[in-house]
Amino acid sequence: MADKQFAATRAALSFQKEWFANLRRRVFEERQPYALLQADVPFELFDLVDMPAVSNQWWASIIAAKRQAPQFLDAMDADGCHGGLCRYCSLGLASTRYPNAGEPPWGGLPTPRLLCARLTCDCIHRVFEMWAEAFGAELFEIDHPGAADLPPRWWELGRHQWRQLVEPHRLAFMVSALASLVERLEAISGRTLDRDALRERLELVNEQEEVFDEVRQLIATAPECPIRMTEQITNVMAAQWVRGGAWALSHARAFRDEVKERVHAGVAACPGERARLMWVGAGLWHDTGFYTAFESSHRAVFVWSMYLAFGPDGYIRYGLDDPMAALASRTASFNEYLHNPPWAAEWLVHQAREHRIDGALVLRPRSMKPAATGRLFIERALEEAGIPVLPIAADVVDARAWDAEVARAEVRSFLDARVLQ
Amino acid sequence: MGVKEPFVVASWPSVPVEIVRAAGFRAVIARGASSPTPTADQHLEPRIFPRRLRHLVESALTGRLSQAARVVIPRTSDVDYKCFLYLREFVRRGVTSALPPVILFDLLQSRGAAVRAYDAARTHALFDDLSAASGRRPSVDDLHREIVRANEARAAARRLMALRRIGSRVSGTEIVPLLAAFWELEPERYVAAVDGAASAFAKRSGLAAPRVLLTGVPVDGPELHHAIESHGAIVVAEVGPWGSGAPGDDVRVDEDPFFALADKYRTDAIGARTPAAALRRRIEQMLDDVDAVVVSLPPEDAVFGWDYPALRDVLRARGLPHVCLRGDPYQAPTSQEHAELDAMVGAASRLQEARRG
Repeated sequence: MADKQFAATRAALSFQKEWFANLRRRVFEERQPYALLQADVPFELFDLVDMPAVSNQWWASIIAAKRQAPQFLDAMDADGCHGGLCRYCSLGLASTRYPNAGEPPWGGLPTPRLLCARLTCDCIHRVFEMWAEAFGAELFEIDHPGAADLPPRWWELGRHQWRQLVEPHRLAFMVSALASLVERLEAISGRTLDRDALRERLELVNEQEEVFDEVRQLIATAPECPIRMTEQITNVMAAQWVRGGAWALSHARAFRDEVKERVHAGVAACPGERARLMWVGAGLWHDTGFYTAFESSHRAVFVWSMYLAFGPDGYIRYGLDDPMAALASRTASFNEYLHNPPWAAEWLVHQAREHRIDGALVLRPRSMKPAATGRLFIERALEEAGIPVLPIAADVVDARAWDAEVARAEVRSFLDARVLQ
Repeated sequence: MGVKEPFVVASWPSVPVEIVRAAGFRAVIARGASSPTPTADQHLEPRIFPRRLRHLVESALTGRLSQAARVVIPRTSDVDYKCFLYLREFVRRGVTSALPPVILFDLLQSRGAAVRAYDAARTHALFDDLSAASGRRPSVDDLHREIVRANEARAAARRLMALRRIGSRVSGTEIVPLLAAFWELEPERYVAAVDGAASAFAKRSGLAAPRVLLTGVPVDGPELHHAIESHGAIVVAEVGPWGSGAPGDDVRVDEDPFFALADKYRTDAIGARTPAAALRRRIEQMLDDVDAVVVSLPPEDAVFGWDYPALRDVLRARGLPHVCLRGDPYQAPTSQEHAELDAMVGAASRLQEARRG
């Protein structure tokens, strides 16, 4: 793995480790409740009743990065779960259901008081029900009404005209579902969620995402990319999981300032940059070295992933007179923004142009079937926009079928033949 | 599609046929087949969309749905929803122009507090949309009448199903097409056809073969039944809307037909979004009547495979042999799978004999 170029990255990594140690201490020593959530659940509601929340996807990425995924996934295979089932969303479950198969990072997850998931993909209900059963914990599900009206340029409507972005019946359903969740959280925590506090928190989330928007602009417009994609992700996601909190906002600003300093000083992640690459899909958590592997050979640098770009476009909501409705509008369509036609392809082409992308690597997930849909629309839209595409078949947490050398050779050929020709 | 009367195409039988008929349409439900889908394959990612959706998209892109009044996609699975978005995108991008309006029937199936009212409202919206499409303006009484007609067809299907349970007088290969016809045939014609078949079946003597439950991803045709029954077993039940699950319970006939229909279809619709606990209860009820179980988990499965470890443990605890098939149900099983089926049927025969003393 490449060295960290940013002080903010080291700070983010140590914050996450300390945060998790503190979570374990609170749960084991103070018997405080915590929650285990799908990434698209509104974490703010949990934080406002003082219930810390761990993201399933973050935990899976940590297990994969610590190279423990194959052991847990082998155990899941041996238990009869076939290889076509989603491994990303179920790796955490595997670490709980087969505790002796591997070494869970940082002492492992304590037992949560509540698990909560939005039912976007069909398998989430199954995975979270099995997980809740393995822990003996409660599960709260938020259903996912399907969008039928998908107006163009969602990322522009979402900021000020978010009521136009979500059909009224879907918005009302999501508000009602979140209200039920709040009732449950209040009962568990013994605290009341203050609507004014929610509004203030969402204002702080807006501020944080505005800071990330500045970072995105710096990256898009700098002569050479000032920060590697992997470090963007570490800094952004450490703050996103606790978004709107004091540490998150302060870290976002420190991160932005460091990026700005580098841009002003003309410091590049890969000096002499010749190709700017885009990664479309979830991160390859078991092989993050992949993203820096083409710097010395081709001066090719990964400039863009959804993790930074989605923050400002997906989260900012102005006009917070009804904060629960604003939060519901943000939550309602995550899946459609990132994967589905027409929204995903339209946004990715826009982002590629903004970032002067020379080539796009599009993940073809081996087991995440829902995330794999929409991929052909995305690949074609990028190609039609003049951006060469290389599909990469991989599982983001399961390294067992990943041949790092073959994949790197494919990318080198792609760069030679289609990007740098 | 070869249908002369006005018709609506649905991707899965969780669209209330009562509403389709009240609006003046015949329902045509997408089914899979072993034939190739070359046009759809250019646009659909491999190993994700089941054959029924690949064939639906093939028909959509080759102009074979142009005569349909509407294409209705229920929210029964994530891939159905994605299919809805794809079809809309094909039209938007000009990939096809010969497609009628595509509607999402957003019937949710979870247990959340707001789900029931949401589903009733969506059911009402479907009624309004299809009524506008036909120009017929049916009344609530018309809808009640269709509910009563469909309930009569359900009663006939249940009579037919009794012949599977009592003495196993009919094979799964024979009965599944009859049960499946519930969704598309006019109720009176369905009752006549099913009652005629039931009379003929009732005259038969019972089959002594081991009794098999077919579960996993629901099948929409008798191909897998045929493969299993070629080993001397008889499929007496299957989990899914095309066989044992076709009739289900009657729809309530009360003041608000939209709530009644939404409740019925939310509870009874079997698919990828059926809550796991509800499915488990259904399967466990069926296990009392069978000697073996076949679990079909084709390559595109993303959901039912999660239920397999728990089901396997239940089957082991009950001493019921089972086979898990991972192949395409529209293709003949491999020789290895045939060997496994043969061994399962042998074990089930011994179990059946032991039970009879």
